[in-house]
Amino acid sequence: MAFHLKDVTLTPDRPTTLLLRKHSDYLAKYGTDSEDFEYNMTEYLRVSGIYWSLTAMELMGYSHRMPKEEIIKFITTCQNKENGGISACYPHDPHILYTLSAIQVLTMYNRLDAIDVEGVVKFVASLQQKDGSFSGDKWGEIDTRFSFCAVMCLSLLKRLDAIDVDRAANFVISCMNFDGGFGSKPGSESHAGLIYCCVGTLSICKRLDAVRINRLAWWLAERQMPSGGLNGRPEKLPDLCYSWWVLSSLTIINRLHWIKKDKLENFILACQDAETGGFSDRPGDIPDPFHTLFGIAGLALLGNKTIKPVNPVYCLPQETIDRLKLEPQMYKH
Amino acid sequence: MHGRVKVRTTEEERARKEKERQEKLKVYKHAMQKIFHKREEGELDKELLELTGKVLSSNPDIYTLWNIRREILIIFQKNDDNEELSQLYDAELHLTEYCLKINPKSYCAWHQREWVLTTRADPNWEKELALCNTYLKLDERNFHTWDYRRFVVRQFKPSLKDEFDYTTEKLMDNFSNYSAWHYRSKLLVELYPDLEGGRPIEDSHHKHELKMVQSAAFTDPDDTSAWFYQRWVLGAVRTDIDVAVFVVSPLKTTIAFSRPVNQAFVASKTRLFFGNELVNGEWQSLTGPQYDVLWVLKHNAEITEGLDVKMEYDREDENIQIIPTTKYNSNTYIGKGEINFEKKYSKPVVEELNNQLEACRQLLAMEPDNKWTLLTTTVFLHCIDAKQYHKETIENLHTLKSIDNLRAGYYDDLITKWSIEEQLIEDYKKDSLDFKIMFEDKVSSLPHLQYYSHCENVDLSNQNLTSNILPALELLQNCKKLSLENNQLTTLKGFPNLNLEELNLKGNSDLVEEVELFKERCNYSVIF
Repeated sequence: MAFHLKDVTLTPDRPTTLLLRKHSDYLAKYGTDSEDFEYNMTEYLRVSGIYWSLTAMELMGYSHRMPKEEIIKFITTCQNKENGGISACYPHDPHILYTLSAIQVLTMYNRLDAIDVEGVVKFVASLQQKDGSFSGDKWGEIDTRFSFCAVMCLSLLKRLDAIDVDRAANFVISCMNFDGGFGSKPGSESHAGLIYCCVGTLSICKRLDAVRINRLAWWLAERQMPSGGLNGRPEKLPDLCYSWWVLSSLTIINRLHWIKKDKLENFILACQDAETGGFSDRPGDIPDPFHTLFGIAGLALLGNKTIKPVNPVYCLPQETIDRLKLEPQMYKH
Repeated sequence: MHGRVKVRTTEEERARKEKERQEKLKVYKHAMQKIFHKREEGELDKELLELTGKVLSSNPDIYTLWNIRREILIIFQKNDDNEELSQLYDAELHLTEYCLKINPKSYCAWHQREWVLTTRADPNWEKELALCNTYLKLDERNFHTWDYRRFVVRQFKPSLKDEFDYTTEKLMDNFSNYSAWHYRSKLLVELYPDLEGGRPIEDSHHKHELKMVQSAAFTDPDDTSAWFYQRWVLGAVRTDIDVAVFVVSPLKTTIAFSRPVNQAFVASKTRLFFGNELVNGEWQSLTGPQYDVLWVLKHNAEITEGLDVKMEYDREDENIQIIPTTKYNSNTYIGKGEINFEKKYSKPVVEELNNQLEACRQLLAMEPDNKWTLLTTTVFLHCIDAKQYHKETIENLHTLKSIDNLRAGYYDDLITKWSIEEQLIEDYKKDSLDFKIMFEDKVSSLPHLQYYSHCENVDLSNQNLTSNILPALELLQNCKKLSLENNQLTTLKGFPNLNLEELNLKGNSDLVEEVELFKERCNYSVIF
C-alpha cells in the first residue's frame, strides 16, 4: 500500500484574521431557535454545549451576550435529587461528563450556591472503583476521561479529599503506552484527546513526575502536519480540536516550543467561518460551538493578546482559576 | 461535528431539506416525549424497548436511552424465561451492531455491547472475536474496535501468542497500522520479557523486532508508524535510578537523583555517614511534590573540619554503592555518583544495531533528505556509541532542523541534551564547583540540571534561555553566583528562592520594568 500523507491545503480564500465579533454573534444566536434541528438533536449533551459556548464567550470578553440567569436556572433543573449527579438536560440521566460541565459553568459564574454541591461530591466519589478508575455513571463504563472529569470537578469544589487521589493517579499512570502517550483504559492506544485528560489528571494530582516528558512531547510534536494543523493520532487528518488537546498537553509539560506556533495559528484562523462566525474541524466544514471553543482557547495558548489567558488544565479563563487559588502542577524542566 | 463539508445549495433545495428535517424533528420529539412519559410511569416493557430502539437506530449517542434499555433488560432477567431473555440479548447485540454501522465510534453502543456480553449467562466470545476481525477489516484504526477486542480477549482468553500473530498479520497487510504496532508493544513485553537480565524484552525477540520494524520502515520511509515503534524498541533497555550528586554543608544537605523519586525511596535506599555514625534526619522534597529529583535532609548532626563523609546507596541491581566525598572550602563535602547516560544493550543486540546502522546509511545515501531515515540513523549512532559519534549526531540534528523545520525546537533541545551529557562526563572528572555551558550551540533548555546542583558558580550567559526555564533553576540549591546575562528573559515571574550572593541579569532588556521591584525582594546583589 503506497503511503499517502493525510493533510489539508489552506487555500488563499480562507480567513487570516481573527473574527471575534462574528464568533460572538454565532454563539449568541446558537440555540435561540427552539425548532432548530441540530440544536434539538444535541439535547443529550446540552450542558456541555453551554460550557463550550460560555467559555468561548468569556475568553473573547463577550460573556454578557449569554443568558446568565436562564443558564443557571437550567442547570439547577439538571441535578438529580437522589444521587446528586447532573444530566445533560432534564429528564436525561446524570453522568460525570455533564456534571463537570455544569460545575465549570457555575464556577465561571461564581454561582455554585445554585446547586447541591455536597450532592455532586457524593455522586463523583461514588463512581471511583477499587483500582482508582472512575465510571461515567452507575452503568460501569470506565474511561480516563472520567478520571479527569472527577478530579477536575472535585478540585474546583475544593473537595479532592472525597476520593483516593493516589489511586486515581496510579490508574491513569497504568494507561501509559510505549510512545509515552495515554489511552482510555489500560492497554488502549494513545490519542491526543486522552493524553490531555491523563496529563491534566496527573497535573491536578501533582504526579507529572510519572510522565515520560520527552517521549510524549516528541509524539505530540509529530502531530503537526505541513498545513500547520495538528492531528490526534499518527496517519490521521488534522482537526482543529487537537489544537487544544495537543497544545494544552505540550503547555503543561513545558514543550510548547517543539511545534511551529505561527503555522498552527494560520491553520486555526483558516477554520473560521467568515459568513456565520464559528470554527469548524477543518477549513470549509460546518462550524459548531465545540470547535469554536477549542479554536479560541488554542489561540489563547498561542499567546493571542485579544483573547483572555486560558488555563491549560481546566480549559477555563485563567482569572477563574486565580480566583479559586488553584495551582495545577506544571512541568518545570 | 466532524468532517461535514459546507456545501452551497439552491434556495429550493434548502427549503426541501429544511422541511425534511422538521418532519424528522417532529417524529423525534414525539418519540422522546413518549419514552420519558412511559419511564416516569414505570412502564418498562417491550414497547419501550421498541421506542428507544427506533430513536437509537439513528442517534446512537443518546446515552439515557441505553440506560432505559438496561433497566428493562434487568426486569426481564428476573423472569424465569431464559429463552426469551436470550432472544432479547441477541436483539440488543443486533441493535448495537446496527448502530455501530451508523457510527462506528459511538461510545454508548460499544459499551452496551460490553454490558450485554458480561451480563448474559451465555456469551459467545468466539463470535465477538470474529466480529472484531470483521470490523478491523473495515477500519483497521478504529480504537473502539481494538479496545473491544482487548475486552473480548480478557474474557475469552485465547493464547496471547495468537494475538501477537494477529498483529503480525495486520502489519503485513499494511505497515502503516499504528494501532497494530501499539497492540504489539503491549503483547511483546508480556510474552517475551527478559527475566534474567531485567530488560524489558528478551534478546532474541528484541533482535527480531528490530529486524521486522526496519523492513517495515524501509518499505515506505515516509510512513511514520513503524518509526515510532522502532524508536521504542531501541529505547527498550534497563534504566536504573542513579544518585547524581549529594552535598553536605553547614547550610544544607541535598541529594539529586537521575529521575524523580519519592520520600520512601530516599529514606530506604540512602544512608549518610559521618565516619561510622549514621546521620538521622528527615528527607524533604525541595518544593513539596510527592516525587522529586532533589531532596533535602533535615538533620542535627554537626558538620566540622576533617569529617569522613560518605553515602551508601542501595542500587536497583541490588549492589550497595558507596559514594565517598571530597571536601571543599567552608566544610562542604560533595559526593558524585556515576554518569550513566549510555544505553546498555546485550552484545547480540549491539551487533544487530550496527547492521541496521549500515542499512540506514545506505538508504540515506539514496535519499539524503528523508527526515525519518536521517533521524533514525542519528538515533542509532547515539545508541551505539554516543561519545564516538557525538560530532556526527550533532551535525545530523542541524540538518534535521532545516529539513523538518516544524520541529526545530525539538532538535534544538536534543542537541542541548546530548551535548550536556557529553560535557557532564568531563565536568564530573574535575573537582570544580563551576558550571558553564561549553559547546557551540546556544541552549534554550536546561536538561539534567540536577547534576549541577552542587555548583556554586553557574554561568548560563549568552544562551537562548527564555523565562520558561526560571522555575527549573530551583535545582541550583548550592549556587552562590548565577549569571543569566544576554538571554531572552521577558519576565522574572517564576524565579525560585535561592540563597544567592549575586545574580547577573544584564542583556535581558525586556526585564527593565520588573527588575527594580525584584531587587527589593531579594537579599542578594542583582546586576542589570
